[in-house]
Amino acid sequence: MKISVRDAGKTKIVDVEGDVDLGTSPDLRRTLFAALLEAPKLALNLAAIRYIDSSGIATLIEVLKDSQRRDKQFVLYGLSPAVQHVFHLTHVIRIFQVFQTEEEALGSA
Amino acid sequence: MTGSGTRCLHLRLAMPSDPRYLPVVRGAIGPLAASMGWNEQDCLAITLALDEALANIIRHDYHNRADGLIEMECRESVDGLEVTLLDQGEAPDRTKICARAIACDQAGGRGTHIIKDVMDTVSYQATPGGNRFVATKRLRKTI
Repeated sequence: MKISVRDAGKTKIVDVEGDVDLGTSPDLRRTLFAALLEAPKLALNLAAIRYIDSSGIATLIEVLKDSQRRDKQFVLYGLSPAVQHVFHLTHVIRIFQVFQTEEEALGSA
Repeated sequence: MTGSGTRCLHLRLAMPSDPRYLPVVRGAIGPLAASMGWNEQDCLAITLALDEALANIIRHDYHNRADGLIEMECRESVDGLEVTLLDQGEAPDRTKICARAIACDQAGGRGTHIIKDVMDTVSYQATPGGNRFVATKRLRKTI
C-alpha cells in the first residue's frame, strides 16, 4: 500500500493505493490521524484502492469519530465498485460522507 | 474426469500467521470462486469472508505473532465450496463470536459478522493441537 498526503486549500487530501488490510491499515490509521490534526477538513481518495477489509473499515470509523469530536470534516471519494461493495456488506456506507470526485469532495461543506 | 467420478478442485496451502501473506491468499480465492461460477460480487464477498477468518486467526489465536502456522484447504463440492482453516494458536472465546449486534458506527468486531453473512455455514471447533474453522457456501445455479 502506498500513502501520500497533499494540500488543497484548507483541506488535507490523503491518496491511498493498493490493499488496505490487517497488515497495512495501521499505516493508514497513523497517516489519517496525523493529517486530521493539520487541517479543518480531511479527504481520503480511495480511487486506487483495490481491496479493503474490516480493519480498514474500522480505521475509517475511528477517524470519522475523531473528526466529529474535533468538529472537523472527514470525507471519502473515488470508491470503486469493489470497495463500495465492502462498504455495503459492512453496513457502513451511510455513516460516511461519500463523493464520486475530488471536486465534489472538496466542494462539500 | 476419471472413471465414473468427477475430479473437483482441491486447493491446500500453508501460510505463516503473518499479514504480509494475506494478499497472496486473497489472490487465490477470488479466481477459485470465479472458476466455480460465482459472479464478481460474490467472489469479492467470499474473498473478504475468508480473509477476515485468516485475520481473526492471526489476531486472536496467534495474538499477532507472525511465526504461527495456518493451513487452508478449499474443496469444491457438488454444490459449492468448503473451506477449512487449521491453526495451532490459542483457542478463542467462542462465546464472544458474533455474540452481539454491531452498531453501524462501531469500529471493531465486524469480521465474524461478515463471515456469517457471506457464508452459508460456519463452525469453530477446538482440536487437540489448536483450532479448526470450517465454512461452506452453496453455489446457487440460475437457469
